[in-house]
Amino acid sequence: MTQAEIKLCSLLLQEHFGEIVEKIGVHLIRTGSQPLRVIAHDTGTSLDQVKKALCVLVQHNLVSYQVHKRGVVEYEAQCSRVLRMLRYPRYIYTTKTLYSDTGELIVEELLLNGKLTMSTVVKKVADRLTETMEDGKTMDYAEVSNTFVRLADTHFVQRCPSVPTTENSDPGPPPPAPTLVINEKDMYLVPKLSLIGKGKRRRSSDEDAAGEPKAKRPKHTTDNKEPIPDDGIYWQANLDRFHQHFRDQAIVSAVANRMDQTSSEIVRTMLRMSEITTSSSAAFTQPLSSNEIFRSLPVGYNISKQVLDQYLTLLADDPLEFVGKSGDSGGGMYVINLHKALASLATATLESVVQERFGSRCARIFRLVLQKKHLEQKQVEDFAMIPAKEAKDMLYKMLSENFISLQVGCQ
Amino acid sequence: MAEVKVKVQPPDADPVEIENRIIELCHQFPHGITDQVIQNEMPHIEAQQRAVAINRLLSMGQLDLLRSNTGLLYRIKDSQNAGKMKGSDNQEKLVYQIIEDAGNKGIWSRDIRYKSNLPLTEINKILKNLESKKLIKAVKSVAASKKKVYMLYNLQPDRSVTGGAWYSDQDFESEFVEVLNQQCFKFLQSKAEAARESKQNPMIQRNSSFASSHEVWKYICELGISKVELSMEDIETILNTLIYDGKVEMTIIAAKEGTVGSVDGHMKLYRAVNPIIPPTGLVRAPCGLCPVFDDCHEGGEISPSNCIYMTEWLEF
Repeated sequence: MTQAEIKLCSLLLQEHFGEIVEKIGVHLIRTGSQPLRVIAHDTGTSLDQVKKALCVLVQHNLVSYQVHKRGVVEYEAQCSRVLRMLRYPRYIYTTKTLYSDTGELIVEELLLNGKLTMSTVVKKVADRLTETMEDGKTMDYAEVSNTFVRLADTHFVQRCPSVPTTENSDPGPPPPAPTLVINEKDMYLVPKLSLIGKGKRRRSSDEDAAGEPKAKRPKHTTDNKEPIPDDGIYWQANLDRFHQHFRDQAIVSAVANRMDQTSSEIVRTMLRMSEITTSSSAAFTQPLSSNEIFRSLPVGYNISKQVLDQYLTLLADDPLEFVGKSGDSGGGMYVINLHKALASLATATLESVVQERFGSRCARIFRLVLQKKHLEQKQVEDFAMIPAKEAKDMLYKMLSENFISLQVGCQ
Repeated sequence: MAEVKVKVQPPDADPVEIENRIIELCHQFPHGITDQVIQNEMPHIEAQQRAVAINRLLSMGQLDLLRSNTGLLYRIKDSQNAGKMKGSDNQEKLVYQIIEDAGNKGIWSRDIRYKSNLPLTEINKILKNLESKKLIKAVKSVAASKKKVYMLYNLQPDRSVTGGAWYSDQDFESEFVEVLNQQCFKFLQSKAEAARESKQNPMIQRNSSFASSHEVWKYICELGISKVELSMEDIETILNTLIYDGKVEMTIIAAKEGTVGSVDGHMKLYRAVNPIIPPTGLVRAPCGLCPVFDDCHEGGEISPSNCIYMTEWLEF
C-alpha cells in the first residue's frame, strides 16, 4: 500500500465513520493482520472502543477475520475494498439508470449499512419513497420487493455468508469466531417472504403541544417487536457485478464509436445474454447462436434475420476482433472476446494519455513503437515520417517520463 | 646408375603462349577462373611461370583479379573499360574498381582506404584525378550530411543515399509529407462518410468505405500537389503513418492477378475510422497534463488544495 493510498483510506474512513474507526482502520492497513488485544495496545484505545470499531468495519466488509491455531483470531483490513467506497455514487447512479428510483434506494441502503435483511431494506426504502411522494400516496411493499427480487436475479445484490447450521450439537467449546459459509446456489436465492404493508411517513407531530419536556420517547419500534421473518439472511451489494456492468458499457460504446449504433446494440444484447452465465474473469463469453441473439434483441428493434447475420459477420471480421465466430450451428455461433476487448480499450487509453500529454506526433511514434515492439532510432524516423531532429527530441521526452524504455542491443 | 634429372623444356613454355592460353581460358569462362583451372589446363608449366604470366596480364590491364570465397579469381577485363583506364596507373585502377563494386550505393573515402590499403593522401589525389576525368562523382548522403560517397559517374544514386521522394537536397520535406497525410485522410474520410450516408445494407456500406492503395495513389496524382512523381509504395508509406496516427485501418485481401493495383496476388485496403474511446478521464482533469504531477502532495508547496488549475476546472 502506498502512502498516498493509505492517506486516502484514512480520509474516507474518517468521513464515513469517524475518528475512532479511522484510527483502528488505518492501523490495520499499515500493520497487516493483528489480534484484538494487540490492536488495542498499539493504538492506545480501550478494548471496548476497539470492539465497536471492528464491528463497524466488519459489517461493511472492510475488515475480515480469521481464526488461527491456538484459537487466536486475527483481523485484516482490505485496503482495496476501502478505496471502493469512492465508487459508491457511481454504483448508486448505475442502479438508478437500470431500475429507477426504487432500485437506487435499495442499493444505497445496502451500501450505507453494509449488510441488511431483505425485510429491513424493503421497509426502509418504502418509507423513504413515501416521503417523496405526494400527500396521500404511499409506496407499496410489494413493488419494492419486486425490484429487490429483480436485483437479486441479475446478481446486483447477493446474500452474505452466514453461520452454518450444525446438525449435531458440538460437544466441545464453541470456536472463538464463527466461520461463515455460503453455498453457491443460495447466493441469489430470495427467501419466500410475504411482505405486506405500505410505506409510512415519519410522523411530524412528536412533541407535546404544551411544550413540556417529555421524556425521550423510545424509538418507534412497534414494528420491531414482531420477529423478522428472514432473520439471519443478510444481503449485501455485489460490487463485482457492478464492475462487470461498467466493463460491458465500455465495450458497447467502443463498438458504437468504431462501427454504428445497430452493431453496438447487437453487442449489448450478446453481453446481456451472457451476464449471468459467464464468470467475470472469463476470456470469452459462452457461444451464442445467431437465432438466440435474434430472439433476444430489444423489442422494437426490427431488423430482419438476414441483416442481423450480416452485422454479425461484419463484427466477426472487423480488425477490432471484439466478436469471434466459434461455430456454424444454429445459424452461426458467436462469442465476445472479452480479454481482447479489454486489452484494446487499455491500449486506447494509454494512447489517449500520450496524445493529450505530448501531442499527436508523439502519439504517432508511441503507436508505432507499440505495434512494432522494437525499433531503432532510424527506423522510427522512417516509419513515422518525422524529421530526424524532431523524432529524437520526442523520443527522449517520452523516455524521460518513462513512457518508452531503451534497450541496448549488441551490434 | 645415377639418375640424371633432365629438365625437359616443354615445347610451349613460351611466356607469350602461356599468356594467350590464359586469356583463351578466361574468354571461355567469363565469370573468372581460378589458379587451379589454369594448372589443370597446362599441367607442365611450373607455378613460377604461371605467376609471371598472370602478373604480366594484370599489369597490362587485360585481366581482373578478384577474390572469391574459394580463392583468387582471374577474369577477362572489359575491353572498353580497359581503354578507359589507359594512362592511369595501378592504384587508380584499384580505387576505380572498388568504387565500381560499390554500385549505386556509393562508398565513403575511408572505406576506400580500408579496402585498398593506400594512404589517405594518395586516395585523395586519385579521387580528384578520377573526378576530373569524369569517371566518378561525389554524392552527399542524406544519412550524414557531412559524408560524401563516391560512385561511378553515370549511375543513379540509390534511394537510401538521396532519401527518395521525401528529400529534396538532403532536407526532409515535412510540410510536403503533412499535406499528403491530410489529403489522403480527407479522401478516405469522405469515402467513409459517403458509404455511411448511403444507408444500404451493412455489407455494401462497409465494402464501399474501403479504398485500395491504388485508388488513393490515383487520387493524389490527379490532385497534382506533388511536383515529384510518387509511386504506389510512397503512398503506402504515407498511409502507414495515418495508421500510426490511429485514424485509418488497413486490411489485406486476396486479389486476382491482373486486377488493377494488386501486388503479388493481394491488395491493401484502407478505411478511415473513429477512435474507440473519447479522450480518457485522467487527461480531462488538470492532473493528467500537469508538469509537476510528481511533486504534488497534500501538505506540500504544490498540493491539490492550493492548485489554481484545479480550482479553475471545478468552476465549470
